[in-house]
Amino acid sequence: MAVEIFNPNPTIFAPVKPAKSSKTDSLWVGDSSETRDDEELEAEELIDQDEIFDLIRSIYDPEHPNTLEELRVVSASQVTVTGNRVMVEFTPTVPHCGMSTLIGLSIRVRLLRALPSRFKIDITLKPGSHQSELAVNKQLNDKERVAAALENPVLVQTLEQSLANASLRGQSSEE
Amino acid sequence: MSSSSAPTESAERLVTTWMATGRDEEVAEAVTEVSEGRLLGVVKALGTYLTSDQDDLRTKGVDFLATVIGRCPENTLNKQSVKVLTAFFCDKLDDTETIVPALKGLSSLPPICTSNDALVILKAVFAHVNMRALVQSVRFHVFSIIDGLIAHHREPLKGMKSEFIAPYINLAEGEKDPRNLLLAFAIARVILVEFDPTDHIEALSNIVFCYFPITFRPPPNDPYGITADDLRLALRRCVSANPALGPIAIPIFLEKLAAGSPPIKRDTLQAMTDSFPVYGPALARTSARKLWNALKLEIFQPTDSATEEAALVTTQALVMTIHAGDAQDGDVQGFARDACEECIGILREPEKSQAKPAIKVLCAFMSTTPSVARYTLANAVPHLLKLFADPNEVPSRHPILLLLSDLIAAARDSSKARSDAEAPPDDPPEPALAPFKDEVLGALISGVGTPATTRAALAGLTGLVSTPHLLSDAEFGFVVLKVNEVLETCYQEDSSDDSNAILKLLMTISAISPSHVRDQTLPMLLKSLPATAPPRDAFAARGRYQHVLEALSTLCGPPLLFSTLVGELSPRLVALASAVPSESETDFELSAAYLHALLAALRRTLAGKVDDGHADVAGYADSLVPALYGLCVRAALRGGPALEPRVVGVAGEIIGLVVQSLASSRQQVFASALFPAFLEGKIAAICSGEDIPAEAGFLPFTPKFGGLMIESEATSAERNLLVLFEAGAIPLHPTVTIDADINAYTEKILMQALAHAENERQTEAASRILGSIVNKHVDELGPFLEHKRTAYWSVKIYEPAGYPGSRRQGLRTWIWMCKGLLVRNHPLALEFIHCLFDLFEDETIGTDAAKAFGDIAASDAVLTKRNSAVVKFLWAQKFATGILPRLMSGARDDSNPVLQHANLIALTALVKSIPNASYTHEMAQARALMPLLMRALQIPDAQIRANVIETLLSVAVEHKNTHDVLTEHAPALVRQMLGYTKARSELTSVRIRISALRYLGVLPGVVRYDVLHPCKPEVLRELAEALDDPKRSVRREAVDAREVWFKYNG
Repeated sequence: MAVEIFNPNPTIFAPVKPAKSSKTDSLWVGDSSETRDDEELEAEELIDQDEIFDLIRSIYDPEHPNTLEELRVVSASQVTVTGNRVMVEFTPTVPHCGMSTLIGLSIRVRLLRALPSRFKIDITLKPGSHQSELAVNKQLNDKERVAAALENPVLVQTLEQSLANASLRGQSSEE
Repeated sequence: MSSSSAPTESAERLVTTWMATGRDEEVAEAVTEVSEGRLLGVVKALGTYLTSDQDDLRTKGVDFLATVIGRCPENTLNKQSVKVLTAFFCDKLDDTETIVPALKGLSSLPPICTSNDALVILKAVFAHVNMRALVQSVRFHVFSIIDGLIAHHREPLKGMKSEFIAPYINLAEGEKDPRNLLLAFAIARVILVEFDPTDHIEALSNIVFCYFPITFRPPPNDPYGITADDLRLALRRCVSANPALGPIAIPIFLEKLAAGSPPIKRDTLQAMTDSFPVYGPALARTSARKLWNALKLEIFQPTDSATEEAALVTTQALVMTIHAGDAQDGDVQGFARDACEECIGILREPEKSQAKPAIKVLCAFMSTTPSVARYTLANAVPHLLKLFADPNEVPSRHPILLLLSDLIAAARDSSKARSDAEAPPDDPPEPALAPFKDEVLGALISGVGTPATTRAALAGLTGLVSTPHLLSDAEFGFVVLKVNEVLETCYQEDSSDDSNAILKLLMTISAISPSHVRDQTLPMLLKSLPATAPPRDAFAARGRYQHVLEALSTLCGPPLLFSTLVGELSPRLVALASAVPSESETDFELSAAYLHALLAALRRTLAGKVDDGHADVAGYADSLVPALYGLCVRAALRGGPALEPRVVGVAGEIIGLVVQSLASSRQQVFASALFPAFLEGKIAAICSGEDIPAEAGFLPFTPKFGGLMIESEATSAERNLLVLFEAGAIPLHPTVTIDADINAYTEKILMQALAHAENERQTEAASRILGSIVNKHVDELGPFLEHKRTAYWSVKIYEPAGYPGSRRQGLRTWIWMCKGLLVRNHPLALEFIHCLFDLFEDETIGTDAAKAFGDIAASDAVLTKRNSAVVKFLWAQKFATGILPRLMSGARDDSNPVLQHANLIALTALVKSIPNASYTHEMAQARALMPLLMRALQIPDAQIRANVIETLLSVAVEHKNTHDVLTEHAPALVRQMLGYTKARSELTSVRIRISALRYLGVLPGVVRYDVLHPCKPEVLRELAEALDDPKRSVRREAVDAREVWFKYNG
């Protein structure tokens, strides 16, 4: 391939330990079936930062066979939810990474598909992490330009490849 | 014999008839003629044809002779006739009209001819055959002749040297047909291996390497069934046949490896793996650099994992070829050294992505030659240890330990493979890792103590402890000690992330030397269990004891550990159960929950042991079982936390597991105490514990009949112990005698148990006992069942004036009797089941009767092989095939809405509980089931609706052949499912929403795009609403389903 590889040997991080299911407040061991009816009555479970991180953690990096989580491009602490507003910050592996826009776009497409339309989603680079930070941020949050990008069939195909395993949510595919 | 000189009548007749008809019968008769020694007769009869001036007659004549000779059994032809035939067929090769049948005739001669004849044949073939002028089936005869000659006359052919090889190469050149190639490759391999091909290597390589790599794809309906793999294998055996091919082969390999697609790469790599040992170390050494560069590319930038794997194997072969003859002094020069140093260089940055393939290469080196393995370890391990100790590399310690643990595992596996290959030596070899044992252990132990590196260190320790003969007993103890500390912090800080990995390690250790785990880990864990239940709001404490118990139940599988566990937990159980129930109601529930958790841990361990077939389980029949009966009975009589039905339930499960594992003679002893205990007040016989007085008057079924004088009714707590009766009774073997008069006794159980059952649990327990007895003793129960079928049914169940509760109870009993009979395919079963149809119009219990069909067909935990029930193979399928048509026609018949409704419910209940292989026939063939299921979706009952959706789901997932049925209904189904995904709609539940969303996610995979294309925008829009569902689990399914629809394109 004639495409330039921006970072041929990136650092791989261990995946964040999956959030523990803290069901320890139940008095009895192992009777989840009996509490099923109560579930209906329980309070609403709001969409939180962990849930949103779960949605994007297994997106593939366009350059490597690694997920955004493994490359520490995204992390749970870089997602904030306030009311109907979602802010996602991501960190490219190198400051001159030309794939940043594509990564940002794949995050946006995933969230567009997976979050209710009531949310306003802002996707930005981590401040100081990229040499053309402002340009990329502007491009990612411009509705028209995102829509135009999604009209390009080659780009959409690349995006679909990145999103192929996004539904794994941090689990490895063998399990 | 007089007839042999002149053509016989019959031979002439045969030949003339065949010439006219070409039938098979004449050939067969001629074969008989020849095998009876009359070859000459046949030849003479053919005479005029064989020499005829007419081309087609000549062809036919020779063809007839060739066919007959080909069919003759061996050793019917004598030497002289073979010689004559050889000369004759060779002569006919010259003639363009007869060359085809002549070759056919020759192809059957090699096994029976002499060496001289063989040479004659060979020379004639070389002289007259021009392969390019012949079609592939004839060329096949040529290859068969040569193959046969090589097989039977190899020595004379070898003697011909160039006179054989050169003309053969000329013959084989340009062959394309796969069937012929298989023969050609086999011949070429023999030439390359056994003949002296030195002068012809160039030419031979031409007829071998022009086919490499094979890209053949078999045509559909190939009559010979030759696959690409057959050809690949045959060609690979040629390529690796002779060392002289090496210099020619290596550039070709490199070229194909660089340019090929993944399958070609793999084929090339496998060919290389096979060839290197043959080509020899000298060539491998000179081309090592070039080869390694190519292989490195496949390993460090792999196209896929299979190719990467193949490249690693090839690298191993290369190393073994080069270094096989090395001195065993530990000093390695040349290729392995260079490659090893290169990989270690990459490992200087252990956190980078290239470190993974580098360690894979080093691990692959471990299973090559002992000296290379030693060299690799001696360089890689100290390097990693140095990195680990480097203060600048502290952030990378996790990846360093991961790499180290890969290496440890590789060292272990290679030494295992080696000791498996050789005979088990009395003196086990020293593990390769032994020289570095102390340093490695030190690094891992220090790593395990730091939270950031715990997980990687645990992986390494698991590798160490599972290496045979590596660690000493004291070192095992040390590892257990250190790991215990980590485990303890895990539980104290309530961060149990690593506890699973720790438990895995401890289990590995306990499989080798359980005493360390028993002496160190168990006391630590048991100590952290509280003596009494923590208060209601102490969530952390409760979570901790639950985790600790989980750990205990995971660890205590081995008999030694389990006996310790039982020994330690038993006094705690007794102490908890006998806590004075004077305090408030809450405290009572807390200790009951704790008691339940303790028992559940025992149950979990025991279930694992039963699955693994441990022999020590049966031994607990004399200790644990009476203790548990005693515990529960005492509580039922005097009160205490062990009253709680859930505690009784789990105690019952433990008893069941132990009784299952008893031999039937021991079961008999147990049974003879069990039945009187519950039916005649002799409860003390099965309880241990001093404080159950024999005259305690424990009678869960208050006897209304004569004999015993009991003033008070049994309490509800006492009756709840029916579950324990069930636990002991259900696993009993059919040969165990219950009572001399089993009919009366069973009636007694039924009447007493049911008459006073006051809740669901008690009714179920009694019904299950009954079902189990009916299943195992049906042949002795004639009068009992007859009574049930007539009087009991009409009075207790069918009578509409009866009390509804009691009728329902009767129905439950009925269901279990049906099940007991049905699983053993007893003829009475259907008679009993058909009674249920009479209830369909009943206002009060009609629906219950309909739902019963599901219960009857469902598999359960009672009537199983483990419980010694008589279970026939595929009973549920058989039942479903029989009953489905009736239910389906009933559900379609709209003359009586009540009946139709009941049939529909019965149908959905049945379909939900049987394996779906049993109704795919109905699904696909009659297309009748689908509309009915869709109608069932309209029934306003959340449970039925969820059942139907789940049924549809499992059909769609597992049976792809029902697609055209789905296609017909898919758009309607999609709309219906979309309706069910709404959280705010009437009559919904999490279960319905989740299964509807799953179904929506499956449909695009099984229905053609053009069918559902119109629904796509609607689905995407509606699912956007489900993305905002109040429940997280539903949202998750909605996201996945919507993703599937986004990708659904034509």
